[in-house]
Amino acid sequence: MDNRPQLWSETTTHARLVALALLLAVPPAVALGVAAARRPRLAGLAVGTAGVIFTIPSLALFALLVGPLGLGTAPAVAALALYSVLPVLRNTVVGLQEVPRDAVEAARGMGMTEAQALWRVRLPLALPVVVGGVRVAAVTAVGMASVAALVAAGGLGDSIFAGLRGGDETEVLAATTVIAALALAVDGTLALVERGLRRGSAASPGPPGGGRR
Amino acid sequence: MIEYQEATKRYGAGTPALDRLTLEVPAGETCVLVGPSGGGKTTALKMVNRLVEPTSGRVLIDGRDVAAGDPVELRRGIGYVIQQVGLFPHLDVAANVATVPRLLGWDRRRIDSRVDELLDLVGLDPAIYRRRRPDELSGGQRQRVGVARALAADPPILLMDEPFGAVDPVTRGRLQEEFLRLQGQLRRTVVLVTHDIDEALRLGDHLAVLAAGGRLEQYGTPAEVLARPATPFVADFVGAGRTLRRLDLLSAADALATGAGPATEGPAVDPGATLAEVMGALLTSDAPAVRVAADGSVMGWVTLDSIRAALRVEDAAQGAEERP
Repeated sequence: MDNRPQLWSETTTHARLVALALLLAVPPAVALGVAAARRPRLAGLAVGTAGVIFTIPSLALFALLVGPLGLGTAPAVAALALYSVLPVLRNTVVGLQEVPRDAVEAARGMGMTEAQALWRVRLPLALPVVVGGVRVAAVTAVGMASVAALVAAGGLGDSIFAGLRGGDETEVLAATTVIAALALAVDGTLALVERGLRRGSAASPGPPGGGRR
Repeated sequence: MIEYQEATKRYGAGTPALDRLTLEVPAGETCVLVGPSGGGKTTALKMVNRLVEPTSGRVLIDGRDVAAGDPVELRRGIGYVIQQVGLFPHLDVAANVATVPRLLGWDRRRIDSRVDELLDLVGLDPAIYRRRRPDELSGGQRQRVGVARALAADPPILLMDEPFGAVDPVTRGRLQEEFLRLQGQLRRTVVLVTHDIDEALRLGDHLAVLAAGGRLEQYGTPAEVLARPATPFVADFVGAGRTLRRLDLLSAADALATGAGPATEGPAVDPGATLAEVMGALLTSDAPAVRVAADGSVMGWVTLDSIRAALRVEDAAQGAEERP
């Protein structure tokens, strides 16, 4: 039996679950990280809470979310998003705290508002670390999304669980290989982005002087 | 003009970081805040652009209390060069220099030409350095970019916190020279912080010597501070070589003896030569006097006696100034 078309459609579903979860998780996690970077108490509370969520077994979290959200894509995306908060939040806080103090002081001293200092200096300098967090979150989510099959959200978990039930090891192996490949691809891509940012590709945008606001 | 009026900063209950500082920095002059660490130099500097707010007292710019307006607005009108330069590592040289003009919303063409002009001014070829990133520059080049960035929007006031602290002594000397050249040209009101008395004597029109606890020990010109240290602390801080340093601040013309010259022909110097240079010439020749000549015609002589007299005259003049 040629199950390639099915594997392909499961892969796209799988990838879509991960992408949706990241889209949902990254903006609030970064925003929370920005808010927490200069408030040690809030940082402790937020990272602590996200850490607790991170330790809930994936099967349990998916199942718990079926109650309020029903079966299907919703509980799967919600669970993956919740898991994604911790790495992104933590790296945002750390990234912002590691921004050289003299750069921040220069920004203030030259008359940037807090918002300008954040957008023009602090966030660009923290960005490689933030992307590092997104990378960890994405790789984790690719793996965990296999469990989504159990809440009827589809993805490569479908093949794994079908194979397990039917004793078809090839099917399990094929799906697992695709998941691993997907994780490596996501990891590699984001690693490149991160490296590019570290080298400082956030140069002055546009032509010389780059006066874009 | 910048005026400190009883400006005080306290953190907690202990000794203040800055204790009732009162002084005036005339427009177009360089005031150097100098002293050991813990003297409140940087605190005083940052009060001007309100990175530090005084606990009591105030700071005025051209008669206006800096606390009256919006701090962001205030800072855009004041050039700021900080310790360790503080260039933005993610931006290239041009974007760094353009920081304040962009905040002020200048159009791109104006910013571009200003950036080139400033890089030329600080001795960096725009064609080469515009697109460089801070980590591709030497320490001295970074300092120059820092100065260019501070001057970008043509601020009348410049605050410099240990601006030449992070470079080797040779580069430091060159940067100091360039600072003097630039300041001679631009005549900004500069407040500069350093712990190095030599740098202070070289760069300052006025020196404010601050001691631990943020106390102002003396405020005066380099010549005044050298000739008449106001307190034992200042005398100690200025150091044992202060008489020799004074010779750097006086010229051959200040110690000119006219009339019948000595019999022996000594070496010739320019009237603008420092007395330190004259001393050097005296010590390395057998002659008892050095000829002072301009355009080939001898104006007079400098001897050890005339140097002594010049120092005494200066002492007396400054004594009179200090006790009106």
